[in-house]
Amino acid sequence: MGKLFAVIRREYLERVRSKWFVIATLFGPVFFGAIMFVPALISSREEASANGTNITIVDATGTGLGERVSSRLAGGVNGGTTAPTVNVVATDAIAPAESLATQQVISGSVKGYLVLDTLTASAAKARYAGSNTTALFDMQRIERAVQREVQMMALEKSGVDAEVATSVLSRSVNVTTERLTKTGRGGSGQINFIFGIAVAFVLYLTIFIYGLNVLRGVLEEKQSRVAEVVIASISSSRLLAGKVIGVGGVGLTQLVLWLAMSVVMYKVRQPILAKFGADTMAFSMPDISLGVGLVVLAFFVLGFMFYAGLFAAAGATVNSEQEAQQAQMPVVLLLVTSITFLQNILTQPESTLSRVLSVLPFSAPIVMPLRMTVAPVPALEVALALLSVSLGAVGSVWLASRIYRVGLLMYGKRPSIREVVKWIGQK
Amino acid sequence: MTTAAIDIQGIVKRYEHHVAVKSLTLTVPRGAVYGLLGPNGAGKTTTIRMLLNIIAPDQGTIHVLGVPHSDPTLVDRIGYLPEERGLYRKMQVRRVLKFLGELKGLGGKSLDGKIDMWLDRMQLRANGEDWGKAKVDELSRGMQQKVQFIGALLHDPELVILDEPFSGLDPINAQALKDTIVDLKKQGRTVIFSTHIMDNAERMCDSVCIIARGEKVLDGGVAEVREAHGARMVALGLDGAPSATVQTVLANRQLVARADDSNRFLEIELAAGAKAQDLLAALVGAGAQIERFELVRPSLHRIFLEKVGATNVEVGMTGHG
Repeated sequence: MGKLFAVIRREYLERVRSKWFVIATLFGPVFFGAIMFVPALISSREEASANGTNITIVDATGTGLGERVSSRLAGGVNGGTTAPTVNVVATDAIAPAESLATQQVISGSVKGYLVLDTLTASAAKARYAGSNTTALFDMQRIERAVQREVQMMALEKSGVDAEVATSVLSRSVNVTTERLTKTGRGGSGQINFIFGIAVAFVLYLTIFIYGLNVLRGVLEEKQSRVAEVVIASISSSRLLAGKVIGVGGVGLTQLVLWLAMSVVMYKVRQPILAKFGADTMAFSMPDISLGVGLVVLAFFVLGFMFYAGLFAAAGATVNSEQEAQQAQMPVVLLLVTSITFLQNILTQPESTLSRVLSVLPFSAPIVMPLRMTVAPVPALEVALALLSVSLGAVGSVWLASRIYRVGLLMYGKRPSIREVVKWIGQK
Repeated sequence: MTTAAIDIQGIVKRYEHHVAVKSLTLTVPRGAVYGLLGPNGAGKTTTIRMLLNIIAPDQGTIHVLGVPHSDPTLVDRIGYLPEERGLYRKMQVRRVLKFLGELKGLGGKSLDGKIDMWLDRMQLRANGEDWGKAKVDELSRGMQQKVQFIGALLHDPELVILDEPFSGLDPINAQALKDTIVDLKKQGRTVIFSTHIMDNAERMCDSVCIIARGEKVLDGGVAEVREAHGARMVALGLDGAPSATVQTVLANRQLVARADDSNRFLEIELAAGAKAQDLLAALVGAGAQIERFELVRPSLHRIFLEKVGATNVEVGMTGHG
């Protein structure tokens, strides 16, 4: 046991002492913090753009719609900015008016132009062209303004009083979402959504980074030829176990530190957000029970073991960085698979795809925790996933120790798949 | 202590395309300095790895220090310096040594003390400089080799196995290594080293084993080996050119297999079964004026070349150029 511990301690301490670890640990929460704060900042400023009003309206409706849209746009949250200029033209003069407006956009005097014609009222169609079409909030504002004025005009036409029409159209219904779980209700759906993505990404990143770290460690021992001295003192399976536990311990340490720092940042977020003038009322911590937290950590540990084994096996078959790039590819692809289905799983956590991916050993460590944060998952499925990943991890570590034992002292030509299979069977 | 340090019986190791070791049997007595000699690819490193249970033989048995080589307690009693040398480059020297010591079951204060002792002894801590605190990367190659050597000896092993220990050493470090091997022998430890530098083997080894193509060519004490394979050459010095009668003696194939005539100096290879004494008597009988008559024992180098065959030896391999 003393020797295993010596390996674990070396792997752990040499990494924790490195500058890389300190930097990653400190900047991790800044990164996650950015994920937390930036959406709040963006939403508080989403109406602040003045570009939405710096446009020309080409009005060929002959109904004064252009003027009404113009004054509505000017009267937004940031009222007081200049209203869009309106160019009232006849239907057959749209083309020259458009080319004039295009010139203005190109010269930079306006951001874009909106074309309103006879189709706008009847078929609810309008066109916008400009340099800022990717500014989604501005586009939404323009669309809403046109829609509102078209509705108002239709209502007024059928004899509805303007004030009544305004008050009816101003009514908006806000549907709040609340997540129901077996233990009761709590947390908004959206928060769990964001939290689910965060959990999946953190798991993915840590498994990825520390899995590769195991590969690098194996490669380093091979390249520096230190492997033979070590292997003469401790069995290859124990050396591998020590490596996986040591590196995994570093990953776990980082996760726990990140978690602790995130909690602290969450506690002090109010004054920070207030400084940016952002609203914190809508923000609440997702309801994640201790049990779920422990299950997520269990998935990290098992998932890491599964991938660390595969990465170690890949590392034992190569002699250089370049070869390592190629050998790690299949393992990386396996890992990336789970994250590519992120969207599907988030929006349809109960679909067959989600359920299958959440119990397969290579995807379960990321997909199951993701599913669990966005929807209630039957305990049986969670147990099945844990069992599947456990078996996968045992299999992967066993396989790795077989390949590792032979590969560690093999130099020269990179072995073919056939040779590697032979190593597994070698006594 | 009566059992041999190493007892190898008929080990075989096959790989896909070749047989690395073919039915090798050898015994290393305790307390001996033992040389494992052979050209590159002879199977020395494979044999050493099997001794250390890093790889398993396909056939045969190996006993080390009286127990089967797979005995888990054995690794702590052996010190090993592999041919391919290397250390964790980014690690501090002292931490590397501590790790290597821990892998041999050491720990605590006594380990620190041992590291200090060895750093001093190998002059890695001298004149106010402590290389123990430096990273492995910062050391010269010679110093790195010293660190590795310390790593192999830190736990006072009963058996020390050194694979090509002299390769890449400068004369000063080579001498330090020789001194240490002699020290180890004085302390009663068994030292096995593989080499293709016959000079070193001849000077330091009590016994040797020459292997080639995975097979044992010969083994035994250095003196015995030279005795058994020597005394076939006679250096003959004459006062003046050999007379006709002396020529007749030299042409006698019962006595002389071959004679390299350099006028006044001749190198004679005795015929099979012939005795040097008979040749001397015949030469004296023929009236030769003998200035020198010496039985020349062949060096290990010569035996090696003869036994392994020049085809197996690359230029420079024997260390004699």
